[in-house]
Amino acid sequence: MLKILLDHMPLEDDIPALAALHQKGRLAFKALPDKKTEAYKYTDIQGALTVAMLERAKKTCIHADDGMCHCHAHEKSLPFEAYEFHFCNGCLHKHFHFIEGVEVMSLRDAVKEHEASRYINKFDLENYAFAALNTAYADEGLFIKISQNIDRPIVLFYHHDTNLMSHIRNIIVLEKGAKAEVVEIYQGDEAAYFHNIVNEIFISKDALLRHYKLQNEGKSAVHVALSNVQVKEGGVYESFCLQKGANAARNETHVFLKEQNARALVNAAYFGTKKQLIDTTTDIEHLSPLTNSNQIVRGVVSDKAHGVFQGKIHIFPHAVQTEGYQIHKALMLSDDALLDVKPALEIFADDVKCSHGSTCGDLNEDELFYLRSRGIAEDEARQILIKAFLCAAFDDIENQDIKNLFDALK
Amino acid sequence: MTNKPILEIKNLCAGVAGKEIIKNFNLSINEGEVHAIMGPNGAGKSTLSHVLTGKPGYDVRAGQVVFNGKNLLDLSVEDRANEGLFLIMQYPVEISGVPFMSFLKHALNAKRKYLGDKELDAPAFMKLVREEAQKLGINSDMLKRAVNVGFSGGEKKRMETLQMALLRPSLAILDEADSGLDIDALKVVSQGINDLNDGKRALLLITHHQDLLEYIKPDFVHVFADGHIIKTGDKNLALELEAKGYADFIKEAQC
Ligand SMILES: Nc1ncnc2c1ncn2[C@@H]1O[C@H](COP(=O)(O)OP(=O)(O)O)[C@@H](O)[C@H]1O
Ligand SMILES: [Mg+2]
Repeated sequence: MLKILLDHMPLEDDIPALAALHQKGRLAFKALPDKKTEAYKYTDIQGALTVAMLERAKKTCIHADDGMCHCHAHEKSLPFEAYEFHFCNGCLHKHFHFIEGVEVMSLRDAVKEHEASRYINKFDLENYAFAALNTAYADEGLFIKISQNIDRPIVLFYHHDTNLMSHIRNIIVLEKGAKAEVVEIYQGDEAAYFHNIVNEIFISKDALLRHYKLQNEGKSAVHVALSNVQVKEGGVYESFCLQKGANAARNETHVFLKEQNARALVNAAYFGTKKQLIDTTTDIEHLSPLTNSNQIVRGVVSDKAHGVFQGKIHIFPHAVQTEGYQIHKALMLSDDALLDVKPALEIFADDVKCSHGSTCGDLNEDELFYLRSRGIAEDEARQILIKAFLCAAFDDIENQDIKNLFDALK
Repeated sequence: MTNKPILEIKNLCAGVAGKEIIKNFNLSINEGEVHAIMGPNGAGKSTLSHVLTGKPGYDVRAGQVVFNGKNLLDLSVEDRANEGLFLIMQYPVEISGVPFMSFLKHALNAKRKYLGDKELDAPAFMKLVREEAQKLGINSDMLKRAVNVGFSGGEKKRMETLQMALLRPSLAILDEADSGLDIDALKVVSQGINDLNDGKRALLLITHHQDLLEYIKPDFVHVFADGHIIKTGDKNLALELEAKGYADFIKEAQC
């Protein structure tokens, strides 16, 4: 696998700045993480990758013979008004909306722009093998700079129906006081593909980003995503990610609360069936006093599914009067299901309030009986209770349209 | 009163956790009848209601139960409900995260599906629920909450009664339906229960004191002790029981 990945790395590009980015990735990428890599102890992504996925990286949109992307055929249209952007097999469909107060460009254009390029690759790749890999390959993605309140959600659709790998790099910048909702929807068919995404998110003073993600990749897919989020004074990052697709998936969120009153809500839910591997990893770094974070994570594993939750709260020295909370609850619906949970609190400051907790159980028999005693079939009753359980992680989503996306579990 | 049987329990023996609680129990209930089973705490009244509704964990060792011509004990919990059995539970469970209205819609549509009827559309459903809710003094705020979450004992019983009114069971079993109710709530709930009884259905009231029987007049009163019915009479039996107390009454009956 490693050899295929190394051999296919792009060595040159029409755009020198992009070639330079790729080179940084190549230099940082050493190997795919394996079980000996602490951060991937429970999560064998490498084992889920296949040669078929890696042999072909997207070059041009395979649907673009006539210069158009026809992937709309696959898309379910949203039941609400949104600014939609579409990626098909890793290729960005270039019909950009004009959005008042928002600057949008493709990654290829962004690397060339002095203003935009300074937001790209602003974290230490050494710690993230998959992000390094992304950097070595990425030639598609969106740069979105938001400078005011956006009236509708921005929705990024990713669709795959071909065996290949896609390395998408998005940059989302919220300028001072701006406010936006960004939704990512991942879907695919039977194809075996490897989707490796990096989002770099910058939240300026007093800005608010609500970031939602529905990971419903095709059942043979491998999905790896990193959101690297930097939050300045009074800025807020609120996120929720539901993962229920892919054969193997990892969603990693790394938040840096860099200045006072920066706040993060990093909620997640996962629902693993069959032999799925689903990993939710968070790392919240409290770098400044008076920062606040909260995480509500709910998971369900059934059949032979394997769920992983790794949640870290790291409070730096001097980051006093900080609050960091985390609660993970899971349901294990079968004896063959597996759950690995690794919460970590690293507190190096006094005068902080922190807590974490994790529980694991089965559906409540009395609740199940109650529903069935009202005529609801057992299967349906179980689904209702599973949904209710997961719902605790996204019940607070204000935007009802977006909440409904997650409500439709099946 | 017709004699069409709704429920026939014959020589039922059942228990839980290896303990035999229902012993050689017999009871027949016909259309239009109201039966009351009275017995001391711990006698096994709730166990009986759970065995009939099919709650997991209870073992039936012997006996037969025929419900509307079907062998009740062969049916799943949900099929028993859809065949027309409804239990107002003594302690309705709170289910957070499940909105009451969506739960109710699932339940109503499950029954309609079972009977081969079309699902209700949203406006028809809302109208139906609002009308029944109003009769039971349930306001729209209560309907918006999760199933039983944060309700007082009395409110829970109102919500149970609402479900019963909408599902229109052929046999409703009320396990201590009066517990935790103040007089006003008792009146409302009783009214709801009486409204249901149109002569084609039947009621089985389970209670350990006779307050409820002031509001819902039973045709038969059964005294339950030692796992089965030890005496049957009319509503005066309930008064006699109340006057003597269970201990003395049972002692006398067993002599
Ligand atoms: N799950 C159980 N495990 C063990 N014993 C039980 C269980 N449920 C009920 N019992 C016992 O069965 C007997 C009858 O209980 P119950 O049916 O609740 O009585 P009642 O409703 O008449 O007050 C009691 O002695 C009670 O302790
Ligand atoms: Mg009882």
